[in-house]
Amino acid sequence: MDFYLGLAQIVGVHTLLGLSAYCVLLTGQVSLAQAGFFAIGAYVAAMLTVLAGWHILPAIAAASFVAGVVACAVGFPALRVKGLMLVVATLAFGEAVRLFFFNFDYQVARGEVKIGPAGGEGFRQIRFFPEHGWSTLDVLLFIWLFVALVMAALWWMDRSRAGAVLRAVGEDEVAAQSAGINVTAVKVAAMTVGGLIAGLGGGIFAHYTAHIEHAQFGVALATFAIAYPILGGLSSVFGTLIAVIFVQGFLIEGLRFLGDWRNLLFGGLILLAMNVRPRGLIDAATIAGIKRLRIRNREPGNARTQGAE
Amino acid sequence: MLELKGLSKHFGGVRAVDGLDLRVTQGEVFGLIGPNGSGKSTVVNLVCGLFPVTAGQVLLRNEDITSLASHVRVACGVTRTFQNIRLFDRLSVWQNLWVAQNAVEHRSEGFLRRWLGGPGRAREEIDRILEFSDLSGKRDELAGNLAFGEQRRLELARAVVAKPALLLLDEPAAGMNAEEIDQLDARIRKLKQDGLTVLLIEHHMELVMAVTDRIAVLNFGQKIAEGTPDEVQTNRLVQEAYLGVAEAA
Repeated sequence: MDFYLGLAQIVGVHTLLGLSAYCVLLTGQVSLAQAGFFAIGAYVAAMLTVLAGWHILPAIAAASFVAGVVACAVGFPALRVKGLMLVVATLAFGEAVRLFFFNFDYQVARGEVKIGPAGGEGFRQIRFFPEHGWSTLDVLLFIWLFVALVMAALWWMDRSRAGAVLRAVGEDEVAAQSAGINVTAVKVAAMTVGGLIAGLGGGIFAHYTAHIEHAQFGVALATFAIAYPILGGLSSVFGTLIAVIFVQGFLIEGLRFLGDWRNLLFGGLILLAMNVRPRGLIDAATIAGIKRLRIRNREPGNARTQGAE
Repeated sequence: MLELKGLSKHFGGVRAVDGLDLRVTQGEVFGLIGPNGSGKSTVVNLVCGLFPVTAGQVLLRNEDITSLASHVRVACGVTRTFQNIRLFDRLSVWQNLWVAQNAVEHRSEGFLRRWLGGPGRAREEIDRILEFSDLSGKRDELAGNLAFGEQRRLELARAVVAKPALLLLDEPAAGMNAEEIDQLDARIRKLKQDGLTVLLIEHHMELVMAVTDRIAVLNFGQKIAEGTPDEVQTNRLVQEAYLGVAEAA
C-alpha cells in the first residue's frame, strides 16, 4: 500500500512541475528553467522549516513567492530570445541554479549535529512531516490538496480572458501585438505564474523526500517538466495530469519488472504515444467528445454551448 | 487624424519607403495604391508600429506616436488587418474578438474582472460585431476552420472590436469574390458612417475608386500622386507606373 501512496505523492508533485511548464508553454515558450524554479522552491522551503522553524504552510508560500520573483526576473531578459535560443538560455539558467546549490553551504550547529544545506552532499534531515506526526496518507492529502487548487485555478484561468490571451500569444505574437496585447507582459506573467507553481511543487517535494541535493534538479527533471504538457497536450490542464500518470505510473513504475529493458522501452513508448496522439494525450477532439457527451446528458433545451466554454 | 512626415524605412540598401509625407483627415477613407513592392504594406507596418522607422515621424491627432510600441498604438486607436490573414486559428471566433478588446475603455475595467472574469459586458459588444461581420452563426467555430471569406471578415471584426479611430486595411479584398467585395464595400462605408478613418491598401481598383475619398499612389517608396479618385485615374504618371495606359485604337 505504501508503494502506491508513495507513487501518488510523486505523481502529485510532478503534476505541479508539469503545470508550471504548461503555463509557459501556452504562450509558445519552451522553457527548461522549471527545474531551476523547483530547486529554488525546495531549498527555500526546507531552510525555512528546518533552520527557521517555520510551519510548512508559510514556508511553501514563501518558497513559491521567491521562485516566482526569480522567474519574473529571469523572464525579462530570457524572453528577448525565442525558440531554440530560449531553450538554451533557460537550460543555462537551470544549470546555474543547480550549480549554485552544489556550492551552497549554510550549515548551522544544533547541539551535536549540523543541519542545513551542505553543498554537494545535499540538504538532509528535512523532517517537518515526521516531527509533526504526519502519516503518509496525511502527506498525500496535503500534496493533492495543492494539486487540486492549482489545477482548479489554471482551469478557471483557461476559461477566462487571460487563458485566451495566453493562447493567442502562443499562436501568433505579431497578430497578438497588433490586436493590442502587450506580448512581453503576457509572457513574463506566464513565466512568473510558472515559477510560483514550480516553487510550490519544489517546497512540497523537499519535505516528502526529506533529503534534497543538486543532482535531483538537473536537465532530466527539466526535460520531464516540459515533456508532461507536451505529451499531455495543451488543450486542457488534465492532459498534463494524465501524462504524469502515464510517465510516472506506467512507464517508470509499471514497467519496473522489465529491469534494464525498461529504459529502452521508456523512450520508445513516449515516441509511440506522441505519434499516435500528435496533439497530446488529451487533445481538442477529446474535449469536444466529452462536451458532446455532457450535452447529450443534459436536457435538449439547455444544449446550447456558450462562447467562453 | 494621421500625418506622416518624411517617413522612411530602409532594409539594408532597399528604400522601401522613402521620405513619405501624407495627411489623412478625420473621417475619410484614404486609399494607398501602387505596384507590388512599392512600399504600401511597409507604410502600414510603420504606422501600426511593427517596424521601427528609419527616419521621419508618425503623428496621430497631432501627437507623435513614432516610438510607441504596437500594442500601445492599439490603445491610442490604431488597428489593422493583415495582407496574409493572421488569426488565432485554435481559438474560437468569439475568443478571437474577446482577446482583442483592448481599447482604453476596456482597460479601465478592474484587473481581476478583466482578466479572470467571464465575458460579462464584453459579450454584448462582441455579438454586435459578429452580426456586423455576418459571423453570428460561427461564434463557437475555431477560427482555423472558417472558410477564406469568413476569415477575412473575422480579421476585420477583430480590428474593429478594439474601437479604433484609425483602421488600417492591408488588401482586405485579396482572394475575395465579387459578392464578398460588395459586402466589404458596404462594411467600409458603414465604418466610415460611424466616424472611423480608414487607410485602405488595395489592388482591386473598382473597390478603391468606389469607396475612397482620396488616394495616394506610391512607386518605389515615394509618393507620385495624390488626389480624388478621378484625379488619380487621369494622372499620366500614375497610368504609366501602375494603372496602365489605354492603347490608342
